[in-house]
Amino acid sequence: MPMSPTEAADALREISQTEQRSASAYGYHQSSPHLIMWGVIWAAEYGGYYYYPRHPIIFSALSLAGIVGSFVIGSRSKGKSKSKPEFQWRYAATFVAVIAFISALFVIMPPTRGTQVAAFFPLLVAFAYTQLGIWTNMLRIAVVGVVIGVLTLLGYFYLQPYYLLWLAGVGGGALILGGLWLRSV
Amino acid sequence: MDQPDPAIHQTVRLKIMAALKALPPRDPIEFVRLKAVVGATEGNLGAHITTLEVAGYVDVEKDFVGKRPRTRIALNKKGRRALEDYVAYLRDIIDAPPGI
Repeated sequence: MPMSPTEAADALREISQTEQRSASAYGYHQSSPHLIMWGVIWAAEYGGYYYYPRHPIIFSALSLAGIVGSFVIGSRSKGKSKSKPEFQWRYAATFVAVIAFISALFVIMPPTRGTQVAAFFPLLVAFAYTQLGIWTNMLRIAVVGVVIGVLTLLGYFYLQPYYLLWLAGVGGGALILGGLWLRSV
Repeated sequence: MDQPDPAIHQTVRLKIMAALKALPPRDPIEFVRLKAVVGATEGNLGAHITTLEVAGYVDVEKDFVGKRPRTRIALNKKGRRALEDYVAYLRDIIDAPPGI
């Protein structure tokens, strides 16, 4: 018996929904190790900065290690993939654009306190995750972004004496748990 | 296409094909992940994957990670084209004037 237009439309909807679910699951699987690694680095950075405030080099060194780690995870993932790598230049261009934006912002509106800088980067990450989640339909990533943003602001306004420790424990923990949450999909 | 492709014209197999098409070309997905995306039971999914493999639409790789067996499935070129043809067939039905 031939299909009716209604059955055909239902089948197309089913295809579209399944593709969306599959693409999201793939994105979660790819993002999970990045979140876990950055959670550990984040915790070490802010914890280190709290206990050794005279050695800000710890922060820079760990950030650099994180960037290198992200490239390693990304290239290992590409190595497993059988598809040809595409648009690699976009990652590098995005990285340069973000660095340029932050530099320009700090020149125009220089932060007056260390805690402002400490709050700025988690908020930037929260914004990026929220946008990524919204635009790619990966809602779990958007949730992680919102949680990090809210926790950052909570600590900034209500837990100033322990702000760096708060960011280390709760911010880093949120990223690690977020990464594990994505892995469970 | 006058008749739907019998290898794809089945709910679970259509979902399998759609799930595989959403991945980067030729990238495989692990059986357990595909099971979660499609929402099928293990035995049911295995049987339908075999049907698609026999039709030449998917490639199945079996190996071990440590001592754990792993099955990975990927959509090949023939399968991708077959799904595109099936989608075109569905669109033709929807777009056809009433009474034809």
